Amino acid sequence: MRNSISTLKLVIVLSALVCVGASQSSAADVYSYDGVHSSVSFKARHLDLSWIHGRFNDVSGTFSLDRQDPSKSTFELSIKVDSVDTANEKRDEHLRQPDYFDTKQFPTIDFKSTSVKPITGGYEVTGNFTMHGVTKPITVVLTGGKEIEFKGVKRVGFSTELALKRSDFGFDPKAIGPIGDEALILIDCEGVRQ
Amino acid sequence: MPDPLLYVQAVAASAAVGALLLLAMVSVRRPASAARSSIACGLGLAGGVAVGCYVLRLPVAWPPANALDRLLTLVLPALLTVEAVIGAGRMSPRLAWFLRLSLAAVVGRILLHGSVYLSGPNREWSVAHAAAVLAAFVIGLATTWLLLAWLSRRSPGVSIPLALAICIQAAGVAIMLAGYLGAGAAAAAIAASLIGTTLAVRRTAGFQNPQAIISLGVVALFGLAFIGVYFGRLSLASAVTISFAPLLCWTTELPGLRVRNPWLVGALRLAIVAIPLLVVLGIAMVDFYRHTAPLLGEIHASPAGCLVNFG
Repeated sequence: MRNSISTLKLVIVLSALVCVGASQSSAADVYSYDGVHSSVSFKARHLDLSWIHGRFNDVSGTFSLDRQDPSKSTFELSIKVDSVDTANEKRDEHLRQPDYFDTKQFPTIDFKSTSVKPITGGYEVTGNFTMHGVTKPITVVLTGGKEIEFKGVKRVGFSTELALKRSDFGFDPKAIGPIGDEALILIDCEGVRQ
Repeated sequence: MPDPLLYVQAVAASAAVGALLLLAMVSVRRPASAARSSIACGLGLAGGVAVGCYVLRLPVAWPPANALDRLLTLVLPALLTVEAVIGAGRMSPRLAWFLRLSLAAVVGRILLHGSVYLSGPNREWSVAHAAAVLAAFVIGLATTWLLLAWLSRRSPGVSIPLALAICIQAAGVAIMLAGYLGAGAAAAAIAASLIGTTLAVRRTAGFQNPQAIISLGVVALFGLAFIGVYFGRLSLASAVTISFAPLLCWTTELPGLRVRNPWLVGALRLAIVAIPLLVVLGIAMVDFYRHTAPLLGEIHASPAGCLVNFG
C-alpha cells in the first residue's frame, strides 16, 4: 500500500515537472485559420482601365505566435486554387485551365514562413511563396495580432496586402495581356486557438 | 490572345522548316539509306515543331512544368529517338514494335506526372482508377498506332499522315474553344510540321521509312487529346472521336469502296476522316457561342474575343 502511494506521488511530481518544462520550452500559441471570418481576395487590372476582383473560397492554414520570442512564430497558409471565384463561373473555369492557374497540375498556392520579425503594429514575415509551381521568397507585413477571447475561444487577427507579378511565377506571357501582370492579394485572416 | 496572322506565320514556318530539314538531310547522298531517311524524318518533324512553337511564342519550360511541356520536351523527342534507333538499327519488326509499345505504355503516366490525379495529399484518383484510365489510354493509342502502321504498309500514301495532321489540328481547335490556348497552339505547330515533312517525303524519290511521321502523328494526337480532357475542358466524347477518327482511313479498304486510283483513295480517306471532326468542331463552336460568347458582348463574340475578354 505504502509503495503504491509512493509510486503515485512520484508520477504526479514527474508529470508536473514535464508540464512545467513543456510550458517553458514553448510559449507559442497555435491558431488555425478560421475560414468563416477570413478571406483571401485579389484584384488585377483589366486593360489598365479598371480592376477585376476575385477571391479564393477554400483556404487553410495554421500559425503559431510566440509572444515572448516572436522570431519563433510561424505562419503557414494554403489556398486551393480550384476555389477561385470572380463572380463569373465561365471566367473561373477559364482561370483554372493551364493557360492560367493550371489547377490540375498546381492545385494549391502555399506560403510558409522562414523568419518572423516583430515591428510596430504587427510582424514582418519572410517566407517561401509557391504559386503555379514556382517558389520565391517574399516578405509581407502582417498588421494586427491583437488577441481577444470570444465565447471562451481565443482569437487573433491579421491583415496584409502583397503585390505579385504573374510573370515571375511562370504564367504564360500571352495570357497576361489585357489582365495586368501585377496582381494584388489581400489577406484578412482570423485565427482560432487550437 | 490568338493572333490569326501569327498562327499563319507559325504554320508556314513549321511546315517549311520541317520540309527543308528533311530535304537537306536526304539530299546529301542519294538514294537515302533507311537510317538517313529515319533521322531526316525525325529532324524535320522536331525542327518544324520547335520553329512553330517559337514563332507562336509558346512558353515551353525546362525542366517541364506541365503536361504540355512534358509532351513537347519528353514524349515526342523520346518517340523520334526511338524511331531513329529503329531506322538506324534495321531491327526486326517485332523488336521495333516492342520499343514503340513500350513508349506508348508510359506516355499517359508521363503526362499525368505530378498532377492532382496521381500526386499530393488529396489525389483525385485511386490506384485502380488511375490504372484503368492509363490502361484505356495505352490500348487506344497502341491499337490506333498498329492499325495505321499496317494500313500504311498495305496501302501507302500521304493521306494517312495528312489525316493525322487534320485530326491534330481539329483537336487543337476543340481544346482552344474549350479555353486552353497553349495546347491549341502546340497542335498547330505539330500539324504543320507533319504536313511539311509529309509533302517533302512525297517529293523525295526512294525515301524509306516514313513510319516516324505516322508515329509522331498518332502519339501527338493522343497526347493532345489526353491533355485536353484531363488538364483542359475538352469533353471525353470529343477526345475519343478525334483520336480514333484517323482509323476511318481504313474505310477505303472495304470491298465495295476499294479503288485503285491513289488520288481518289487519298481524297476519300480525308473526306471520311473529316466528317466526325466537323461534327465535333460544330458542337464545340455551338458550346462556345452558347456559353461563352454571351458573356463577351457583341464586339468580342468570337473565339478570339473570349481570350481578349478573359485575358
